Amino acid sequence: MNRQCVIIFALLFFVVSACFFSSWFVVAQTSQTGSKLQAASTAVNQAFTSVLAAEKAGANVTSLLDQLNNANSLLAQAENANTAGDNSTAVNDANAVIPITQQVTTSAQNAKENTQVSSRNAFWSTIAATIVSAVVFVLVLFVVWRWFKRRYIKGLSEAKPEVMGNEA
Amino acid sequence: MKLNDYKLVFIAVGLIGVLLIATPAIAANIHLPGGQQFSELYLLGPNKMAENYPFNIEISQNYSVYIGVANQMGSPQNYVLYVKLLNQTDILPNNTAGTPSPIQPLYECRFSIANGQNWNSLLTFSVSSANVINNQSTIENLNISGLVFNAEKPSIWNSTASEVPYRLLFELWIFNPQSNSIQYNDRFVDLQLNYTQPT
Repeated sequence: MNRQCVIIFALLFFVVSACFFSSWFVVAQTSQTGSKLQAASTAVNQAFTSVLAAEKAGANVTSLLDQLNNANSLLAQAENANTAGDNSTAVNDANAVIPITQQVTTSAQNAKENTQVSSRNAFWSTIAATIVSAVVFVLVLFVVWRWFKRRYIKGLSEAKPEVMGNEA
Repeated sequence: MKLNDYKLVFIAVGLIGVLLIATPAIAANIHLPGGQQFSELYLLGPNKMAENYPFNIEISQNYSVYIGVANQMGSPQNYVLYVKLLNQTDILPNNTAGTPSPIQPLYECRFSIANGQNWNSLLTFSVSSANVINNQSTIENLNISGLVFNAEKPSIWNSTASEVPYRLLFELWIFNPQSNSIQYNDRFVDLQLNYTQPT
């Protein structure tokens, strides 16, 4: 009798443990998928913020947006697979998002720095060219003015006085 | 003209010339505010025209529409497009309050668009399983672009009411870098659907 009780108790314990661990496994798997998706989403958002900063600095971000769209497509596939109940595809796709976004972020930061340097150089070049051009223009205009003024005065001094007839 | 008049002409020419010479530098460093900033969301039929939208749908039949977004925000944007299946009683997005429909999305698309550019995609859908009892239909599973989603959406067909049994709702969300989150962009389009049993 005692042995039977022990066996029944052991079986019950085994069944309850199995139920507990299987449900724990499902919960753990779901939370793992959720955290992977969250991490992928955060990575895409960070990559996009970097691309936006590079664009504001004046960089050409067309190729970066194309790369970011690859990551976006994978993230959407992962989210859709998760909604459809395909956890393994969701995790795989979410994992594949991370290296793309890292590459995009690095490229965007490099593009931003390069563009900032070239923009600064271009700014000072434009300012220098503007100042030099303006000074040259004013000097030329001044020389022309001096020549014109001399010619005008010479013209006045060489002008013959006209004798007006007295009609009365 | 007197000499002083000519002097004024030379000064005016000088000022205009200096201004013209400085134009590239001024243009490069002064940024004028752009126009109105907005995003466009549009839905087209299977021929990329605003016609032949699917309405009466049957089980296992494929239907397709084109969904498109145009970015007029003045800078690149990151969008999320949610697809939701609604029945007559489900709440639509509120244009006045700017709130989305509370229904959970079945499907989503994510994409980035450069300023002034468009994005569009073909969306194919079919009803995988459904049942009709009297005047009540239930779409159990909906296949969107090859993935099967559990919809479990019942709807009552009333020929006298103006409400359509189902709506496939497309909501546009946009990433906000300030809050570092995606937000509903107050843009939605919907495809009205009526599920019919094959004869």
